[in-house]
Amino acid sequence: MTHSIAGQARCLILACGNTLREDDGVGPWLAAWVEGRFAGEPRARVLTRQQWTPELAQDVAEAESVVFVDCATNLAAGEVRLATVATTNASGSALATHHLGAAELLALSEELYSATPRSSLLLTVGAGSLELREGFSEAVKAALPEACAQLEKAVLDILADSSPQRA
Amino acid sequence: MSQTITIDPVTRLEGHGKITIHLNDQGEVENANFHVTQVRGFEKFSEGRPFYEMPSLMARICGICPVSHLIASAKACEAIMSVRIPHTGAQLRRMLNLAQMVQSHALSFFYLSSPDLLLGLESDPATRHIFGVAQAKPELGRAGIGLRRFGQHIIELLGNKRIHPGWVVPGGVTEPLAAAKRDEILKMIPEAQANIKLALAWYKQIADGFKPEIEVFANFASNYMGLINEDESVEFTDGALRLIDAKGETIADGITANQFSEVIGEAVEPYSYTKFAYYKPLGYPAGSYRVGPLARLNIAKSMGTPLADEELKLFKQIADGPVQSSFYYHYARLIDILYGIEKIEHILADPSILDKHVRATAGVNRLEGAGQAEAPRGTLHHHYKVDENGLMKWANLVIATGQNNHAMNQGVLQAAKHYIHDGKFSEGILNRVEAVVRTFDPCLSCSTHAFGKMPLELKLVSAEGEVVDRLVRS
Repeated sequence: MTHSIAGQARCLILACGNTLREDDGVGPWLAAWVEGRFAGEPRARVLTRQQWTPELAQDVAEAESVVFVDCATNLAAGEVRLATVATTNASGSALATHHLGAAELLALSEELYSATPRSSLLLTVGAGSLELREGFSEAVKAALPEACAQLEKAVLDILADSSPQRA
Repeated sequence: MSQTITIDPVTRLEGHGKITIHLNDQGEVENANFHVTQVRGFEKFSEGRPFYEMPSLMARICGICPVSHLIASAKACEAIMSVRIPHTGAQLRRMLNLAQMVQSHALSFFYLSSPDLLLGLESDPATRHIFGVAQAKPELGRAGIGLRRFGQHIIELLGNKRIHPGWVVPGGVTEPLAAAKRDEILKMIPEAQANIKLALAWYKQIADGFKPEIEVFANFASNYMGLINEDESVEFTDGALRLIDAKGETIADGITANQFSEVIGEAVEPYSYTKFAYYKPLGYPAGSYRVGPLARLNIAKSMGTPLADEELKLFKQIADGPVQSSFYYHYARLIDILYGIEKIEHILADPSILDKHVRATAGVNRLEGAGQAEAPRGTLHHHYKVDENGLMKWANLVIATGQNNHAMNQGVLQAAKHYIHDGKFSEGILNRVEAVVRTFDPCLSCSTHAFGKMPLELKLVSAEGEVVDRLVRS
């Protein structure tokens, strides 16, 4: 049995969130921003989903590097954090059927495809409100420039990495 | 002392439900119920909307099988418009429906049920999930992911969105198929076929190990209903409904969407927001029936594609007459997938699939219309009434999960009675009871609705968990 290699990218930006749940929409918002910022850059690929589902493991396995983008409820509202993700962070209890976290997606890509990206980062923005409405809380609105700056730098660093691409 | 075992939520399902198992003073099972505890009101809040908005509105009921709702809804609208859609538009919609069936069945079989089948129903629940499958048998996990992506990618190519595509409209589809997209889909066929063949071969290896479960997983005589073509081959998008009894004899045939509400009723039970569909001439519950993969294969005389026809022959050898155990929904689901892949290739081989005439247009020519299609988990029926301006006055949706509701409840009771004695049970036993429900692959989010009389149960529970008051409206 084979599996297709579609959409290989030097840098995969994988965002998650629901734009109808206020600050949960920050992932899709940042994905749209970075897609515009790197428009015409074939080495960058942006995927936005409401949830990260198991089939994304193939996209993760095929990417040189991944930047996961999501909101977080364990950070102060508006706090921006960029951290490395490792498969060792994968939690069994987080392995839900329909959606996974960043570490679990990485672990699944390793188990299924024996491949993980060379670098994996998770950019999160602390949520101030997850109410049923569009738009962002004041704290997240204020954090958007910082989140964009950190995301832009992360992608530029990945694209500037001169080491050869994985065969 | 009597006791109630509650499984809440039932895991690895589409949506949220719970199971209660009621034991008598001797610790034996007296009754068991599968409760659908969420409620939605799509029929009600569609009132006043223009009828042509209905496909897009109704598709929002669910993220798993929105395509089936799109198609059943569009067909109901076409009945109001009194139009026949162009052949190519119909074939494109058929392909979209099959793609959705493939991705939904892949989710059910590989993500939701294969952990039980591969790792065992008694295995550690902490590893009984898709990651456990990936560790134990990565090629099976890759096959499941490959089939999910196959279906999702076709939906995205045709409808420009993976979920809730707006491409299906009353009268057909909004744009024809480009040759480049056809070729891209065709290129994916060999890999998809390899994946489903792997899954079928694996299923046949392990099925004999589940003989005890096959005996008690909703293994009883029942009626079955599904769409069928005039040549008695399986059908997902057009055709008419056939209802057969437990011996395989036809009870009713050629049921069109317009005739559906004349012969199918919906009963209400106080413990669930999902109704219980039944064939009116037989009454409730005698007229209850099963739908979905098992029903489709029990009804059809052929699949209409070579490889799936070979599998159907093997399936038919399981029993002399309809296959009754719901455990075989798993096998039937895989045969459905094989058929879907073959049929998509067959549809694309016809050059007329690139024809530009894909949509008919008309206004309101009737004040009532109904449409039906096969969703992955069974027959789906939409029925609308509009005013002279085409504004929605009334809607009713009869969902596959509602049509399987009686059988699911009977199946839960059968398994609970078999496994639970003297008030003793283990996690593995309760997982078996849950697994009965999983065989049906119910999708609970779209199965609940507020048309007509809706049951309601309110419980006042103390801080200690004691039920101190209960109000039931049935």
